[in-house]
Amino acid sequence: MSHARPVIDAMKPTKPGATRTAPPRAPDGFPSRGNYRGYLAFGFGGFFLFTLSLLVLRSVWAIGTGEAAWNRLQAGFQNPLYVIYHAIAFLWLSWFILRLFRLFPATQPKRFGPFQRPPDAVMVAGLSGAFVVVTLALATILWGAV
Amino acid sequence: MADKQKKTIVVTRFDPDKDEAPRQQRYEIPVEPDWKVLDALNYIKDHVDGTLSHRWSCRMAVCGSCGMNVDGTPKLTCKDALADYGDSVEVTPLANFPVVRDLVVDIEGFMERLQKVKPFILRAKELAVEDGPTRQSPVELDDFRQFSMCINCMLCYAACPVTTNEPDFLGPAAIALGHRYNLDTRDQGQAERNQVFREDGGVFACSYAGECSEVCPKHVDPSGAIQQAKMANVIDWVTGLVLRRGDAG
Repeated sequence: MSHARPVIDAMKPTKPGATRTAPPRAPDGFPSRGNYRGYLAFGFGGFFLFTLSLLVLRSVWAIGTGEAAWNRLQAGFQNPLYVIYHAIAFLWLSWFILRLFRLFPATQPKRFGPFQRPPDAVMVAGLSGAFVVVTLALATILWGAV
Repeated sequence: MADKQKKTIVVTRFDPDKDEAPRQQRYEIPVEPDWKVLDALNYIKDHVDGTLSHRWSCRMAVCGSCGMNVDGTPKLTCKDALADYGDSVEVTPLANFPVVRDLVVDIEGFMERLQKVKPFILRAKELAVEDGPTRQSPVELDDFRQFSMCINCMLCYAACPVTTNEPDFLGPAAIALGHRYNLDTRDQGQAERNQVFREDGGVFACSYAGECSEVCPKHVDPSGAIQQAKMANVIDWVTGLVLRRGDAG
């Protein structure tokens, strides 16, 4: 098991010691085990951040170019590939945000100034509730219901 | 008398003078029901093969010397019961570290990282003895007590995927200890440490996999400390910007 793990370049001292050492190896089960999957999914999210940023730039450019360009962009969004892309991006973003909320309490200090921090469950429920409300409100507006 | 139970301990062996790369060696040994993994290694060393090298000292999960990967998971072998494993147990050196010999890893890289964050109290001016003690309330102590429980066992480094991929990463224990001193009301070295935290490979390299906190035998929660340090650094950076502008005006 352990000898199949890839050799890596971690935790080496800046000056090599007098004794020859065997190179470090990656942790067992890396990258498919436990929290490593979350680590990879988090890293893979860079793809969505990058492409969504390009999409925002393209949208701004279309608005600046004129109504015809904007309408063409809107029509392009009907393409099934765009719909699939947005669906996957939405799923990733939702996972990312809910994971962030779940982990959020550990990132907070024991006290907020003179006040004790609220219980972890209250923080997670508050953030998740706000996320659901904002998502529904935005969906309602974008759907044209408001 | 009934025969003692036997287990196979599969140990990584590496002699820099003879071996090109680490290899595995199997030892079938009699074990007692209350043995820890370290007891099995010590039995091998004392009764089967005296050439086996491994680190250990206190045998009570305080010194942090006996960290190794047991069946793939970083563990303190003096705390890890042998009975929790099957008939065969694999013991390898801590992942993410160069191997000096057998189960002994090179900790120099860790010591360098630890020194970078200055894990001790820094004062702008030392107080004179006649000034009396620097007082700290139990509530203030409670702010960092958890992070002060670190025993430098380096299990968190062996589990950290960022350490695997980013050779310059300061790593969980060093950041947690630096943050522990940043939270200490007696300390005045926050600016110095935050500068190190904000460098490449500092706190922002962590993407919060959380594996370090899962393997920590002292429940330090290094990943929580790193996220707190991130937040503190953002606030510190913004405050610095605003104050500098204020000064200029």
